[in-house]
Amino acid sequence: MPSKINVENVSHEYFNPNTSQRVHALEGLSLEVPDGEFLCIVGPSGCGKSTLLYLVAGLAQANSGRILVDGRQVERPGRDRGMVFQDFAILPWRTVERNIGHGLEIAGVGRKEREPIVRRYVELMGLSGFENKYPYELSGGMRQRVAVARTLAADPQVVLMDEPFAALDAQTRNVMQEELVRISLYERKTFLFVTHSVDEAVILGDRVIVLTRRPGRVKATIPIEIPREQRRWDVLGVEEQFARYRQEILRLIREEFDIQEHAAS
Amino acid sequence: MMAAIRAIAPFAAFVALWAIVVAVFHVPQDVMPSPAAVAAAFGDAVRKGVLTVYTGETIRRILIAASTGALIGMAAGFFVALNDVVAEVTLPVIRFFQSLSGIAWLPLFIVWFGFSDKTIVVAVWYTLFFPVLFNTVVGVKTVPRVYRNAILTLGGGWSRMVFDVLLPGAIPYIVGGIRIGAAFGWRVLIAAEIVIGAGGLGYFIFKAEAFHLTARIVAGMITIGTLWYLTDFFVLRPLEEATIERWGLVHR
Repeated sequence: MPSKINVENVSHEYFNPNTSQRVHALEGLSLEVPDGEFLCIVGPSGCGKSTLLYLVAGLAQANSGRILVDGRQVERPGRDRGMVFQDFAILPWRTVERNIGHGLEIAGVGRKEREPIVRRYVELMGLSGFENKYPYELSGGMRQRVAVARTLAADPQVVLMDEPFAALDAQTRNVMQEELVRISLYERKTFLFVTHSVDEAVILGDRVIVLTRRPGRVKATIPIEIPREQRRWDVLGVEEQFARYRQEILRLIREEFDIQEHAAS
Repeated sequence: MMAAIRAIAPFAAFVALWAIVVAVFHVPQDVMPSPAAVAAAFGDAVRKGVLTVYTGETIRRILIAASTGALIGMAAGFFVALNDVVAEVTLPVIRFFQSLSGIAWLPLFIVWFGFSDKTIVVAVWYTLFFPVLFNTVVGVKTVPRVYRNAILTLGGGWSRMVFDVLLPGAIPYIVGGIRIGAAFGWRVLIAAEIVIGAGGLGYFIFKAEAFHLTARIVAGMITIGTLWYLTDFFVLRPLEEATIERWGLVHR
């Protein structure tokens, strides 16, 4: 299978204006993502997970190494790589409907052609009846559904998700995860999903990549061999297989965490 | 109904106080006319058509000057907000010129544009420019970065960035700037009309002075104040509140 995304020996440093420090986020990170894969990226906090997504999105430029999508080097953001951000980046001055249709509007799709697509995602994400509401009238969970719908409606080939459910309550989060599994069943897209929740990574990912502590590299790759159709919390929660994956990934992350602690003391 | 009473009551009380003071202290009519005399002068000026014509001129000028001036201020604000180099070079100079009122520029504007409408409009522009510019800059800077990133990953270019994200995001600030700027602009407009002498309410009250028509002066002043009060109350303030409240920006 041809790879959709190639990350080749990427290193990245950036300046954090909040702490006035240079952050060495990634060091020699390489990664291959086949077309249509759902790849989850986990690692200790601050390991450069989000940085990797920003680089693939083209929102930042790697200091060295290169990133290829469909064999072409990423130089700037583009609609082939949609992104869902952690903090509900939908526009407060647009209604639900107009937020979801924004990508299509930008692509020059006319109002008439946009309508059925928007309606489809409204239904898919359980937003029926809220089409004309403004984001402030919605709960956090619903706002994030709008953000996911907006990204998917623009029909990108690669979907980048930066801890999209981190700010949601546990119940809503589980529902969103199951919905995303369902969506990924019939939307053939390549997903890059960053999370700090191991459970989330296992229920969503075809593979889970564990990054090292900063500067991040790939520490381990774990293929999750659970069929998509079985990935529901009521089924998985009691599965031994699920627990094993979970234990293994947690152990890998803890190793990195312990080294970090040692280095600090 | 209650709201209307509450809006008018303070003014009614003020006029009553004024009437009492004039009556009790026997103030001569050419120093401070009574409300009744001012009302009569107002009716007289309207009947003769002077006041309506001059008011029309003033309104036409403020509409032209404020709308174009706001656009100039916004455009400049975006230019400064989106370009750090431009900001660094221009802001110190802009701050310097901000300290000079539009009135201080009138002599020079008259040299350049003559005793004309143009001079008046430019003086109002000058006054409106700074608050609109600074508020636009602040407004643009407060738009969260993640909104820009979201538009970029949806494939949006710079025009989408400006018109879909930065402009609506900055609108509450921009409207606030226009409200302040227009209030200053309105004062400068009246002052400029006095100096230029080509019609308008400023000219109306200034010319009345030449004939010692004190009641007419006060009638003109009340017209000036009332026009602004109504504009602010019925147009600018609701507009400002609407842009903030509609998008729930106050809830965050």
